Parts: sequence; C-alpha cells; structure tokens
Amino acid sequence: MTTDTQRDPDGWQSRLASRFARFAEFVQDTDNDAVAVGALGAASLVGAFAGFLVTSPYTSVFVVGFLAAVAYGWVRHQELAARGVTLAMTASTVVILALITVFIFYEAWPILNQRSGTVFGIWVPGLDLFTTTAWTPAQADKQYSMLPMIQGTVLVTVIATAVAGPLGVAAALFISEIAPPAVREVVKPGVEILAGIPSIVYGFLGFTVLSPWASDAFDLVGQGTYLFVGIVVGLMALPTVVSVAEDAINSVPESMKSGSLALGTTDWQTMTTVTIPTAFSGVSAAVLLGVGRAIGETMAATVMLRNTPTIAEPLYNVFYGFETLTSLIAANYGSSAGLQKDALFVAGCILFVSVLFLSIGSQLIERRMDRKVGGVE
Amino acid sequence: MTRDSERPADRVTRRKFLLTSGAIGAAGLAGCSGGGNEDTATPEPENEADSGSSDGSSGDGSDSSTEASDGSSSSPNEPSLLTGEGSSTVYPIANKGASYWNGNAPPSDGEYWGANDEGSVPGWSEIETDMHLADYFATQYGFEATETRSSPPYRATIGLSHSGTGCEAVTNGLVDIGNSSGPITAELDWSEEQRDENVVDHVLGRDGQPIVVSQDIYDAGIDQLTAEQVRKIYQDEITNWSEIGGPDQEIFCIGRAVGSGTDTSFRLNMLGDAEAEMPGVDTRQGQNQGVAQLVRQNEGAIAYMALAFTGDAVRPIALEFDGTVYETSKDAENTIFDSAYPLNRDLHMYTQITEDTPSGTDMREGAFMRMFLTQFGQQVFVEDNNYIPLPTADLEAELAKLPDTA
Repeated sequence: MTTDTQRDPDGWQSRLASRFARFAEFVQDTDNDAVAVGALGAASLVGAFAGFLVTSPYTSVFVVGFLAAVAYGWVRHQELAARGVTLAMTASTVVILALITVFIFYEAWPILNQRSGTVFGIWVPGLDLFTTTAWTPAQADKQYSMLPMIQGTVLVTVIATAVAGPLGVAAALFISEIAPPAVREVVKPGVEILAGIPSIVYGFLGFTVLSPWASDAFDLVGQGTYLFVGIVVGLMALPTVVSVAEDAINSVPESMKSGSLALGTTDWQTMTTVTIPTAFSGVSAAVLLGVGRAIGETMAATVMLRNTPTIAEPLYNVFYGFETLTSLIAANYGSSAGLQKDALFVAGCILFVSVLFLSIGSQLIERRMDRKVGGVE
Repeated sequence: MTRDSERPADRVTRRKFLLTSGAIGAAGLAGCSGGGNEDTATPEPENEADSGSSDGSSGDGSDSSTEASDGSSSSPNEPSLLTGEGSSTVYPIANKGASYWNGNAPPSDGEYWGANDEGSVPGWSEIETDMHLADYFATQYGFEATETRSSPPYRATIGLSHSGTGCEAVTNGLVDIGNSSGPITAELDWSEEQRDENVVDHVLGRDGQPIVVSQDIYDAGIDQLTAEQVRKIYQDEITNWSEIGGPDQEIFCIGRAVGSGTDTSFRLNMLGDAEAEMPGVDTRQGQNQGVAQLVRQNEGAIAYMALAFTGDAVRPIALEFDGTVYETSKDAENTIFDSAYPLNRDLHMYTQITEDTPSGTDMREGAFMRMFLTQFGQQVFVEDNNYIPLPTADLEAELAKLPDTA
C-alpha cells in the first residue's frame, strides 16, 4: 500500500480522498433532512435488493421504505430526488441485466463442466457439445451436441440476410433518394408498421401456407425447410434494415451531394460514388442489426421447423429444416429436466454471445460512420 | 409574471404526483398484504379462531403464515388449500375434479352431484348421500362438513405445466399433487427405489394413444399395422409406405417433443425401452393440436396422439400387438379403448412421502383422490374427457393406496 502511494502520489488514494472530500462538502451543503431521506432511500433500495435475492418476506417493507423516501424527497427537494431516482433507475437496469447474464451462464455450467474435454492439455468446458454431432437427450447414450442447432441458425441467418439485405438497402435508397416526398411520407411509416406484426403471425402463415406448399412443390417428405424459414425471418427483419439504412443514407450531408452534382454528375452517379460509400458503414450497421434480429427470431422458426435436431446433409441443404438455437429452447423448455435443461441454457449462452458481438460490431461501425462523415450529429 | 403563473401549476403537478404516488404506494401495500393474506386466509375459519385465542400476539402475520405452510403438509385440523400441477394431459381430469370439488354442489343439484326429478349423476346409486359433494368425501377423512355450496371444507386448485415440471414441483414440496402423463422414473431419471422412497403413485385414469395416419394413406387401404411395422417406421427401417403394402409414398413420421410424457411412454410401450432410439422421426411437435394439423396437411403421415384429437382427416388405425388386433371400433372384442391396448398409458398423480405423512398421502389428498376413484368420478372426470376409465380391479388397488376412511 505504502509503495503504491509513493510511486503514484496522484493515484487512486488521492482521487478517492478528493472524491470523499467533495462528497462531504455536498453533505455539508445539503439540508439535513434531504441527506437523511437520501440515505434512507438508498439503504432501503439496497435492502430490498438483498431481500429479493434471499426471497425474504420483508422485501416489501424495504420497497415501501424506498417509495416513502422518494415521495418525501420529491415533495421537499424535487431536484435532488430526481437526480437520485434517475441514478437508481439506471443502476438497477444495469444490475438486472448483469444478473440475467450471470444466471444464464450459471445455469449452463453443470453441463459445460460435465461435457468438458482437453485440447493440447488445456481444459475446455463444454468441448463435447461441439465435437459430437447428435442430440439424443432421451436415449441411453445421451449426447447434447449444439452443432445441428448452430448449423440451423447459420443457414436461417444467411438466407434471411440474403433476403433482408439487398431488399432493405434498395428500399432505403429509393425512399431516401429517389422517391418524391409524397411517396416517402406514405412508404416510410408503412414499412415501420411492418415491424409491429407479431412474429407468430408470420410463423403461422408459414406453417399453414408456405410449408405445405414447399413440401408439395419440392417433393419433400413432410414440411419444414430452412429455406422458407429463412425467407420468412428475412421479411421480418426487413423493416429494421430499411429503417436504419434509410437513416444512414439520410444523414449524408446535403453539401456533399450538391458538390458532386455541381461537378456535373447525374443523380445515379452521385448515389453510387458519393452517397452510398459515405453511408456504407451505416448501411452495414443496418444489415448487422437485421442479422441480429434473424438470429434471435424464435416463434416463426419453432412453428415452421421440424424440431428434430439433425445435421442436414450436405451441409448447405436448405430444403430440410430441423432446428435452430432459439427453436430448440422454445420447443423443449417445458419437457426438459436435468442436463437437457442445462443444454438449453448453453444454447442461450451461444445466442447471447453471438448477438452481443453483432451489436458491438454494429455500434463500432456506426461510430466510425459518425467520425467519417464528421460534423453530423 | 410568467414565473408566478408557472409556480402554482408546478405545485399542482407536485401535489398530483404526491397523490398519485400515495395511491400507488397504498395499492402496492394492499397488494403485498393481500398477497400475504391469501396464504393465511385459506386455512379457513379454524385458523382465525386460533389467532383469536392466542390473544393479540403481535406476530400475527408470521404465525399464521407458518401455520399455512405446515398445514399444506398434513394436519386435518387446519385444512389448507390443496394444490396440484403438471401435465397438460392429466390437467382436464384433475381440473374438472377440482372445479366440482370447489363447487361443493348439494345432493339436490342433479347435474353436478346427487339426484333430482330430472336425473342423477352417473354412479349415484353407489353413493346415495344427503351431503354436499366435497363434504361427502372430506368427512370420510375427518374434515368438518360446511354444508354450503361453493365452500368446500378446503379448496383445490390445479396448475397447468408439464409432466416433468409437475414431478419436480411435488418432490420439492411446492405442490401437494404432481400430475404426470409419464412415470416419474422416466421424467426425473429416477430409479424405482427412489420412486418408492419419495412418492406414492396414484393412477386415476388412462390415456388412449392410437396410431393415426393421414387420409391419403387410410384411403389407400392401410387401416391396420403390426407393432413391429410401427417400430420399424419409427426406427427408420421402413421409410416408404410401399414396403408395407401402401402407395409409393415416403413416410412422414411425426413424434412428440423429446422428454415429454407422451414421447417417453411411446418409447417404453412401443419401442420397448424408455431410452430407445427413434432415428426415423421426421418432425416433433409439442402439442396434440400441432400433430393433428401436420397429419391433416401432409401426405403419407403417421403419428401417435391423444384419442381426443382424432377426426376425419386424422384417422386412427387398428394395431396388431402380440397376435391380438386392437380394433378402432368401440364394439369389437379388443379395441384401442381397452386398458390392455399397449399404447395406452397411465395418468399419474404423485404425492410426496414426508415425515408427517409416511404413507405419502395425507387426508386432504386422500379425500380428493377418492372422488376420482368412484364410478361417478371415472365417468364424469375421466370418460367424459375422452380418457379411458380404470377397470374395477385397478380401482380397488388404487383405493388401497389411500389412507383409511374414518
């Protein structure tokens, strides 16, 4: 400890000290009752959280204490109370999300631990789930391979992206650059309304109309194909892609386009050489968001797929649809117990991690776009 | 001026906020205490009398809540809410039973209990009592009759979830009765010793699981299969209907969700082992409705499903098992409605063996289940729900598992 202070006199200790001094000053300057109520509110909130974690019957007492403190603070010191309450809300959002994340991984741990393996002498939890190929939780030889579901999710996502990407970007370009204002006013809200259709409606249409038709048309045994699930999910992701891509294209500064036009280019040349390259990162972010939607789509996939986890052969065979990570959870959560249930949580972990990387990726791209275009808020 | 005019408005909103938050707070409090009371109130009048006699103890709430949790495990003096949950297959039986129980109809009702000029309930001749429905069964186990409609000696509620969930809930003591359509040994991966140590298995009815085929196959003349053929279809050894005398059409083989009670019993009864492989299954569905829809809209389909969901385009077929042909007609000598039909499965209600009830079935559970084991119960709750009632010998064996009547 002493070496730390010697080496780093302006380090965390002094920063902590100055923060503490500022806090003491704040307490000094504030009315006594405000400080007391603030402390009471904070203590009750922490107490309520602790009570919730241990499922104590006294949790409600703490919640009521917190509400009373907030009510009193709001009447007497509205500004301070608002600051405190907003801080508490933000903190609880973060805590809740963190708890959910921890819980998913905690629940998945037993099977990850049991089905571990070693690669080059390094212990890898859950290795077995990715080196076997069968999902047979109810048989004597129990295997919980995630590969069939990963294949399904990849195929559905690729098809959905192939549908939503080109369609969405083209539509965004038309709405933003080509369409007359009257058309834009109608089409843009219209596309956004599409996003409000519940996914089970798409799934139900797919189950009763598309799947039986595909089964006849392609002479398949029974119904359920990755191809049509992918198309339906792509249509569902379309509004997201159009909306975000349109915003990105719209945010290209008018001055850049005018400058290009002033040099004598046509509208189309401006679009292809100035607008799209400038908005490129925003448009990719839109597509990535759409992909995220496609990966996480559950209802349509569960209703339309066969729910028999099997690896399709050959690997790119999209005419038979077996299972995705999401539909595995949706179709089995009720009848699973023990390791099978833990395996469902593993599927949840895989989804969580992939969607996490996608959203981080799209945020990075969006930030890059802001920097590149510059001056655009 | 503007500031002055803003201020009162500001205060109004603040006052409004205060009122609203107060109201919300009060509502929250009421909700909390209401939720708490629900447990404490259900143990019915005795409980109130108790806390009254203990005279103004300040720990009233905590006292009665502990009583409530104790009461759920046994003790006929303070009958508490009887709870059950589990399989959607057992649910119609259990829930209808609970509704009748809570209704506590008088013997003059005629429709739900007893007899009047217009008729009597089925099996009334062996009951012939002047007591209300729930009173009749509860008094046999020492509970006091309420003699009031809609107010049974204790209430019963049945929750809807899944077989595995119901088994888990009852072994964790969350509910009194765990409903399951598959044996608990398969649902929770238990050994038979574990089962005998922890729970008592009550079978109150049977579920018919015919093999069904789609209309085109039925029309092509397939109206009977042997057990061996069905096994081969589900194990991928037969993949085309032409191999067993049907049209040249690939078989679309429909199964149920892995680990569900239906799936487990099918593996056990048809394939011979609860952990048998089923590589032939092309698709799995979570619900009977989903299976029926698939059979309706696909050609060459075969499936097994609950009897209640069969219909015009979903045709049950006869099954030959060990030389016996089980016909689809109700009047034949051996039919798919018989208990002997191998795909029919027991519908279980499990109760937990605890220190308080070493026999596994306490008085409340016993009285409730006895209702199902009468001719009245078998007809109204089992057969009217399209399930198969138990034969007399099984009824007697099941009654023997219940505690002795007072």
